[in-house]
Amino acid sequence: MSRSPVPSRSPASGKAGFGWVPAVGYLVGLLTVLPMLWLTLAAFRPGSDVFSMSWPATLTLDNFAYVLTEVPFLRYLANSALVSIAVTVIALLLHTMAGYALARLRFRGRGIAFGLVIATLLVSLPVILVPLFMVTLTLGMVDSYAGLIVPSVFNAFGIFLLRQFYLNLPSELEDAALLDGCGYLRLYWHVVLPLSRPVLAALAVLFFLANWNSFVWPLTVTQSENLRVVQVGIASLQGQYAQEYQYVLAASVLAAIPTVIVFMLGQRRLVETLKTSGLR
Amino acid sequence: MSGLTMLVPRRPSQARAGYGFFALDGIGLVVFVAGPALLAIAIGLFDVDGFGKVEFVGLDNYRLMARDQLLWKSFGITATYVALFVPLAFVVSLCLALLTRRDYPGVGLVRTALFLPNVISLVVVGVLWKFLLTDKTGAVSSILAPFGLGDVSWLSDTALALPTLVLISVWFLMGYQMLIFLAGLQDIPQDLYDAATVDGANYWQRFWSVTWPALRPTSFFVLVTSLVNAATGVLAFDLIYVTTQGGPANATSTVIYYAYQQAFLYGRFGYAAAISAMIVAALIVVTGALFAATRGGAIR
Amino acid sequence: MSEPPRNPRGAAPPLLTRRAALGGLTALGLGSLGTGALTSCAPSNADELAFWNFIGPGGTSQEQSDWIQRLAAAWNADHRPKVRLRYVPNADYLNGPTLQTAFSANHGPDVFMLSPGDFLRYHNAGVLADLTPYLNATVRADYLPGALDSRTFEGRVYGLPMESEPLALFYSTEAFERAGLSAADVPRTWDQLLDVADKLTTARRFGLVVETNPGYYQNFTWYPFMWMGGGSPLAADQRRSTFDSKATVAALRLWQEAINRGLAPGRPQGSGGNDSISNLAAGYCAMQQVGIWAIGEIAELAPDFRYGVAPLPVPEGGEELTCAGGWALCANAKGRDPDAAARFVAWALGGSDAACIERSRQWNTKVKMTIPVRDSVRRAAQRQGDFENPAYRLFVDRIAPKAVGEPRYPVEIYRTISDTLQACQLDNADPAASAAQATEAIDTFLSTYDGAPIQ
Repeated sequence: MSRSPVPSRSPASGKAGFGWVPAVGYLVGLLTVLPMLWLTLAAFRPGSDVFSMSWPATLTLDNFAYVLTEVPFLRYLANSALVSIAVTVIALLLHTMAGYALARLRFRGRGIAFGLVIATLLVSLPVILVPLFMVTLTLGMVDSYAGLIVPSVFNAFGIFLLRQFYLNLPSELEDAALLDGCGYLRLYWHVVLPLSRPVLAALAVLFFLANWNSFVWPLTVTQSENLRVVQVGIASLQGQYAQEYQYVLAASVLAAIPTVIVFMLGQRRLVETLKTSGLR
Repeated sequence: MSGLTMLVPRRPSQARAGYGFFALDGIGLVVFVAGPALLAIAIGLFDVDGFGKVEFVGLDNYRLMARDQLLWKSFGITATYVALFVPLAFVVSLCLALLTRRDYPGVGLVRTALFLPNVISLVVVGVLWKFLLTDKTGAVSSILAPFGLGDVSWLSDTALALPTLVLISVWFLMGYQMLIFLAGLQDIPQDLYDAATVDGANYWQRFWSVTWPALRPTSFFVLVTSLVNAATGVLAFDLIYVTTQGGPANATSTVIYYAYQQAFLYGRFGYAAAISAMIVAALIVVTGALFAATRGGAIR
Repeated sequence: MSEPPRNPRGAAPPLLTRRAALGGLTALGLGSLGTGALTSCAPSNADELAFWNFIGPGGTSQEQSDWIQRLAAAWNADHRPKVRLRYVPNADYLNGPTLQTAFSANHGPDVFMLSPGDFLRYHNAGVLADLTPYLNATVRADYLPGALDSRTFEGRVYGLPMESEPLALFYSTEAFERAGLSAADVPRTWDQLLDVADKLTTARRFGLVVETNPGYYQNFTWYPFMWMGGGSPLAADQRRSTFDSKATVAALRLWQEAINRGLAPGRPQGSGGNDSISNLAAGYCAMQQVGIWAIGEIAELAPDFRYGVAPLPVPEGGEELTCAGGWALCANAKGRDPDAAARFVAWALGGSDAACIERSRQWNTKVKMTIPVRDSVRRAAQRQGDFENPAYRLFVDRIAPKAVGEPRYPVEIYRTISDTLQACQLDNADPAASAAQATEAIDTFLSTYDGAPIQ
């Protein structure tokens, strides 16, 4: 607040200068993260103190230690990591191929294929939960890693986004490769994928976050404790440790840490892609 | 759609590559997305009790729906939720975008802070707000107590629970929509503003004459995604599962949540599928309308 | 750890399409929910009995968790197939999807715990194994009168109760002292209940906790209030509903007022109204309607907490009574080995050997503090002087004798009552109008009901 405004290059600053804008920005930003900071602080409080409004007299790591040792929380974290990474990698591979095919390759039925993507764009998982559960059951994938991973891969949004990306990508390199007699698979692997790196980085962040944070599908498709992912784990801890809220809070903090890290790492790419992709 | 494809020499292998490249995703979309959506309609014709009973009952489930007051209530709740959430999230995130579009020291940090709620999961968001909004002893009640609001039951008063969830949802999603607006704002040429300034337009006049019209495609995208998300997405499910379980007195039981309960709590799979089928039908109408209005999704 | 990931690579999409194309999605989707068309989803250890429970290992109460592990170990020592315990947190078990989803995936437990409220849904679906052949006549006679009723159908027993758990009013001695009240002020009537709750309510504490989360448990806790003034959802012949009565409306109004006047929270802490630790012992409320299990809970988890117990207050001219629940062990008739599962249940709770009696006595009077349901267990407990604790004594001598077993209304009646209760308690619906509506709904249902007798 005390800083003097710096003249700006950006649009719409006009002659008015910055005035109150930064001050409001800082305040709103702080208010937004405050609840999260409060939760984090509470996770370090001794159990008797969680609802206290004052600065804690003692801070403790006991809650985290408890969650990590007395609850198979590491297993939950590992399951979430495995599932999120697997879905992200498979989805990126499949969606780049599909997106590329829709953008660049001419084949009969491409219009129908694109129609399929558009038609499924608005179908969200909760809507098809019951039939999807039955399909997964039929395929013998209920209560397995396959059941957690495979149905989560197919996502029209990713295909659509990549198609838009390839539509806007200059084709000189591909043309050259094709003229050199390069097959489509090699072209995809050696030319298309490397060119897609920026958008892939952004999508990887989005997919990872979405799958790490996903709840309703893992809740529905798994029953075994061994397959429990971290979000389901927290929801269940809520019931199990209803009397010891501090553990639930500590678990929540632990579950949020990877997402915050991934976001911080991928933030720049994500924002750039949101700005440059067809996502508008 | 794209002139670029014309430039690529047509080769016999191209079609084959096209099928090959699209095949896996295509199959996956059919089996795990489009198929289930259509399957809902078929399952809705059966009485499926979750213990092995499968019995064809024709339109019975749909007849039951007509008489199910709680179902209609849940449609109403979804509508209210959408009607409160979509405009509020829109305005708030647009304001945030305007607030953070210019470069001032620390603006990156502010943007990150505003986006951060979107990074953590809805389950954690639910745990967090349930903790803060605990009746009497929670942080919010403690802070508001001096103003005589210490006894307000944010999540367990039928009148307040849904609006409270709307506010939490806005808090969760505003950073994401802000980023999309920021991207839209970035594309507006500076000349337009300069010209308006020369004409003596003040901030609000510049906003209405330059920013608002230029943002129209972005606004459209934001509205559509947040509408669909609020009506049918995990937003309407995860948060409710963790915080209110549809209560108090079904005041926050959205259609999605209600259908879930019918299937996975009461074992009424056929009935739940029939509800899903209704939602799918509504989605087909909405998607079709959007598709027509935007000539094949070209708007994006 | 015993369940390895089931071949994640085997699920490559091409396989999926072939299968999907073969059968057609509809047929397959439905078939899978049919009578176990696909066995591929059966848990991997086919030679083990999966025993799902909310006790342990790893449950909230160490003592209860130890008890159930001892139970499994005792069986595993000289019986096959072995029993494998699977802990499901109480809140998930009662109100979560875990159990239902597992059954629909044909993946359900072999042995599981069931409350009377949920009995008919499982029984009418045919998943409860008949335990009668595994029980000898003396054991059946050993069960106290009424103890088996809500688990019996046409003279066959489908579940063995572990206990009887009557409800009462628990109160915090400290909260009473702070409000200048004494044991003499413990409410005996509904009017007193609200008055005293009002006096006990402070800025950080509610006067009273009753359950507000919808579910079998909430209905169970409300039934005694309905019954005290003579109300009942069903006429004696069970052909029509009598839900719309003065007594019922009054009971609905009582619960409504407790919330509307700010005396009780709209959402109890912890796992809900059954959780004495997060509510009463934590100081979140001064009085709580909760069951006998709170004695054991408090003794283990909040041993320094001072409290008293009283019978539930009665309405003007009403009759002192309460409702008693209790969990039963059931065997899955559609499981992998229903015979072994039934043998296990009968061995665990329905034996006439000293070890079985002692096991039940431990559970009832040492571990969980509940009322024994078998005469031999009760006599053993009396011989050992187990009923010394004054709160426990009050339950045994005064409250339990006036307890009515938790009814097993069909899910439609249960839902109607639940919705009515929720609407009145939390949404300010008019009790009289709601009761009239509920009566109509129950009548409609009764005209088509052809399942097991309701009580």
